[in-house]
Amino acid sequence: MRLVIDGIEFGYSSVPVLKDITLDANGPQLLSIIGPNGVGKSTLIHCINRILSPNKGTVFIDGDNVNDVSLKDLAKKVGYVPYSANDTFPLSVVDTVLMGRHPHATYKSLNKDLDIVYDTLRLLNIEDLALRNFNELSAGQHQKVMLARGLVQEPEILLLDEPTSNLDIKHQMEVTRILRDLALEKNILIIMISHDLNIAAKYSDTMIMLHGGYIYAIGTPSEVLTKENIKAVYDVESEVIESHGRPHLIMLDNEFDDRGTELPTDTYASKVKLD
Amino acid sequence: MVRKKWLFIALCAVLILVALVLSLSIGMYDISFADCYRVLIEHITGNISDPYEDDIIWYTRLPISVFAVIVGAVLALGGAVMQSMLRNPLADPYTMGVSSGALLGASLAIILGENILPFFNDQWAKIIMAFLFSLIPVSVILMFSIKRKVTATKVILIGIAMMYIFSAVVQLIMITSSEETLAEIYSWRVGTLALTTWETIPIPLAISTVCGIILMYHHRRINVMMAGANSAHSMGVDPSRTLLIETAIVSLMTAAVVSFTGTIGFVGLVGPHIARLFVGSETKYLIPASAVFGGLFLLLANCVARVSGEYGLPVGVISAIIGCPLFIFILIKMRRKSAWN
Repeated sequence: MRLVIDGIEFGYSSVPVLKDITLDANGPQLLSIIGPNGVGKSTLIHCINRILSPNKGTVFIDGDNVNDVSLKDLAKKVGYVPYSANDTFPLSVVDTVLMGRHPHATYKSLNKDLDIVYDTLRLLNIEDLALRNFNELSAGQHQKVMLARGLVQEPEILLLDEPTSNLDIKHQMEVTRILRDLALEKNILIIMISHDLNIAAKYSDTMIMLHGGYIYAIGTPSEVLTKENIKAVYDVESEVIESHGRPHLIMLDNEFDDRGTELPTDTYASKVKLD
Repeated sequence: MVRKKWLFIALCAVLILVALVLSLSIGMYDISFADCYRVLIEHITGNISDPYEDDIIWYTRLPISVFAVIVGAVLALGGAVMQSMLRNPLADPYTMGVSSGALLGASLAIILGENILPFFNDQWAKIIMAFLFSLIPVSVILMFSIKRKVTATKVILIGIAMMYIFSAVVQLIMITSSEETLAEIYSWRVGTLALTTWETIPIPLAISTVCGIILMYHHRRINVMMAGANSAHSMGVDPSRTLLIETAIVSLMTAAVVSFTGTIGFVGLVGPHIARLFVGSETKYLIPASAVFGGLFLLLANCVARVSGEYGLPVGVISAIIGCPLFIFILIKMRRKSAWN
């Protein structure tokens, strides 16, 4: 699979968000998009799967202009996992994930579709949630179910909008590792928006840093996650160390440290009960 | 689990058949259940012994009961689809302004009398005007869609705006009309099945059957719409187009029944929620479950309506009075499976 973004521009009303974004991504990999809030990360992935139409420029998938492909055919190639999902009516987890089979579904395919759904739930370690109501789950469990729904679409390109933002650190690592493994095993180009720079750096093959409507930096995590780039894009002082061959960011806040503010001496928090 | 869902649907269907036969013996004129059975057989075999009883059972009570099932099924099914499409538990088949459009059409027909539509008598002129006006809101939404993308919120807002416009015009008509006209408009507004004859049934039955089959055929995409517009889009369903098509179908079939009965409330809003409590929200089960439950409910409500008051009461009033407490009771009993979390 090959994704080519050719000079797209997008703005909401008169506010330009993306200005001349150009990208060529080929082959299975985990590609992270990072950048400050409001920089257009979600807008960019919405332009890839045609939820938004760019004002200028074109997106090509395997050489086809996405505007020339039917929505159903596009859904067979590109999956999408939204930032948050809160269904109004109670649906079981199985039924929620089964929706993802819609682009492939025929009237005879239900058993095969269910097999794919259960395999995916097992892969993400959530098969025990299968018959629970989606509305009863925690935010973290929601994210895993949404991820399962994106995966059962069996896409060549999977777009994820902060897929681990509600997960605890163990599950953040677990899910991101699964994504990286899946990219190679199933030959998928996975594009993930992330605010956790260290998790993104640990597992991504490529990172894209957005700033001011442009791609500010693109390359391996070591090339993108430098203290100069972090200062320029986030306006935060940092140190970047190396951990297991990957960059690891330590954020500094000299302004806070220098203030020397001390708490009143009688301030405490303790698990000891009052007598 | 799936078997339980089909069991609920089958149970409601069987209860409809039982209630249909029982409903024939209920009414102001006392005819025992055994006599009803005899009159039916006599009519089918052509040996009518009492033409008066035959008239009551075959030509009055049976068409009303059959139409009650059709109307209840259409309204509840329409409500289920609208709720899922708009992701709004307060949506019903009237959300698009169908009922207020129909009321305006009927009111105009009532005040303008028999001259409004040549070749049709008063009764049919009222039905045709109600039908045509009830489709105005969905036509406005279709026209809106040419210029702008349609979203669930816009559909609801346009429906409400149209409802206010129509209501204002109806109020104006009511203020300026005579006492007799006022009473006629008012009785149409409340919603009744009492005027049903066998001639009433074929047109709404044909339209709603075709619409119901199409909606059932579309059950997968309606289901996907519950995930929200962006998610539906990414799963290969065009949210704006689907919203337009399905709401137009629901409006058409709702218009087809409302034009004959007037506004019958409750069943279209709460019927699908009660069905949801038993079969969940998956559209494949929810559509048939809402239809059979809605049909059964309105049939039973109509039996109660028929024997209430001195001359019977409008079914719309009765369905709300017995339906709402029933709904709250079921909701409390089954709170863990509630339609809302």
